[in-house]
Amino acid sequence: MAPPPAVAAHGLSLGYGAGPALEGVHFEAAAGTTLCVLGPNGGGKTTLFRALIGDLRPLAGDVHVAGRPAYLAQTERTRLDFPVSALDVALMGSLASGRWWLPPRRAERHAALAALERVGLAAQADTLFGELSGGQRRRALLARALTQDAAVLLLDEPFAGVDPASAELMTAVFDELRSEGRTLLVSTHDVESARSFDLVLCLNGLQVAFGAPGESLGREVLETTYGSDLVILEEAPERPVRAITVQHHEH
Amino acid sequence: MILVYSVGMDLAAIPSPVELIELPATQIALAELVLLAVAGGLLGAFVVLRRLAFFSHAVGTATFPGLVVADATGFSATVAGLCVAVGYAGGVERASHTGRAPGDTATGLLLVAALAGGIILASDVFESGAAVDRLLFGTAIGLDGGDLALSGVAALLAVAGTVLLGRAWTAGGFDSVSAPLLGVPARRADLLLLLLVALSAVAALPAVGALLVTSIFVVPAAVARLFTRDMRGLLLWSMAVAAAQGTLGLYLSIWLDVPPGPAVAVLGAGVYALCATGIGARSRLPGAEAA
Ligand SMILES: Nc1ncnc2c1ncn2[C@@H]1O[C@H](COP(=O)(O)OP(=O)(O)OP(=O)(O)O)[C@@H](O)[C@H]1O
Ligand SMILES: [Mg+2]
Repeated sequence: MAPPPAVAAHGLSLGYGAGPALEGVHFEAAAGTTLCVLGPNGGGKTTLFRALIGDLRPLAGDVHVAGRPAYLAQTERTRLDFPVSALDVALMGSLASGRWWLPPRRAERHAALAALERVGLAAQADTLFGELSGGQRRRALLARALTQDAAVLLLDEPFAGVDPASAELMTAVFDELRSEGRTLLVSTHDVESARSFDLVLCLNGLQVAFGAPGESLGREVLETTYGSDLVILEEAPERPVRAITVQHHEH
Repeated sequence: MILVYSVGMDLAAIPSPVELIELPATQIALAELVLLAVAGGLLGAFVVLRRLAFFSHAVGTATFPGLVVADATGFSATVAGLCVAVGYAGGVERASHTGRAPGDTATGLLLVAALAGGIILASDVFESGAAVDRLLFGTAIGLDGGDLALSGVAALLAVAGTVLLGRAWTAGGFDSVSAPLLGVPARRADLLLLLLVALSAVAALPAVGALLVTSIFVVPAAVARLFTRDMRGLLLWSMAVAAAQGTLGLYLSIWLDVPPGPAVAVLGAGVYALCATGIGARSRLPGAEAA
């Protein structure tokens, strides 16, 4: 018998009161795989993540996540006026070891510092979280997720607001996490970067496609996922389509 | 007690602190305010960080009608206050987890209703007279061992809570979405914080009164925030400021013959205003004046 999946959704339907916002989600990701969640603004990526962390109760179907996942939220729900440094934030991840009523041990401090180092924030360890830049804050929160040492990491647009050098650093970290056997769910708008994942899940109010990127990311799927936001750059027989998405602002 | 008042009558004659401290009533009052400084200083740091200042005010004032009834009927004021405060804290916690947190408007209405209800009860039903002043603003000289014991319990629980739950309170307040994923029992920890604030508010009632209990939570922590950048510093400074404010406030209240509640509150507010304007421009934490 196959081992149970690390993350799964079956017949999942999610919403916020007035009808479902995301329907027909059905997928399984085995432990140690990386899954990219693709979709336009309002496609339901964040909605899916919120269901996976138990913040949103399904209208129908069910979700499964092995253990307590680490979560990097898309929009910061953190308080910027707390007297906590980047190191303090990274150290919060060590609460997950189950000793939350005790002060952090030395080993946990080292782990938190190492996590900051991995995301390139070692020099800012003592800087107040509220005094970091937006991209640095996201990296500090990623360090917290690393310190948490979770088997499953749910990262909602981790590259948003992060500069190219840091994005490269983070990609390397994700590769390490995968080689450590952890399961990664990463949402993004970047179609091209999705190709480096084991699996892709395309959402646009409903599940458009799920599978390996080579099979799933065809022209048809991308057009259904992104509609008029899609711009095909290159299409040749026997080669994957190259495409980018553009945002149509509706202000 | 006569002596205390005779000392205080003459504004020109500044009472000697050494003489005052030899009076048993002053000793009890001082011990009371120091114990409240421990509870108020520690819990106040979390009250200010977690934006519970209005809650701490409401939980104190909500007890006022209960105190009036208890005072007139001879029922225990502590038990009456605890019932109201704990009930209120439990209600707030429950409401906030069903997505119906009482907003500032609801809290404001409750404050007005509690105050008005208490005053009507006191003036028209029980004709409480002078007792109203004491219930609203506290007393320095009428404190007894029972009051001390309750404040001692509040201080002990505040220390235990801060040591054992401080990380959970910080992590949960910093990021309420992720805290449960870290395995922190965030919801129960939050309920305990509200209950501890309610207990400490009730413990503070005899000394500072129903209307001004929030001054022992909010002012010291708000001042401390101006000076410190980490949690440990915030907690220590907050306790120190609370103790200084309590001691000086007590002295002022005896000297000027006013209840300790207003003396402590006015002193604290003055110190905060001075510190904030002094270093306000260079205030290190964004939103430090959020209290
Ligand atoms: N708190 C909410 N209340 C009501 N509707 C919501 C809420 N959050 C999201 N929605 C709706 O759910 C749908 C999916 O939103 P979601 O945030 O999951 O999209 P997304 O794929 O994460 O988009 P983005 O790329 O902008 O982050 C949208 O139609 C949105 O309007
Ligand atoms: Mg989103």
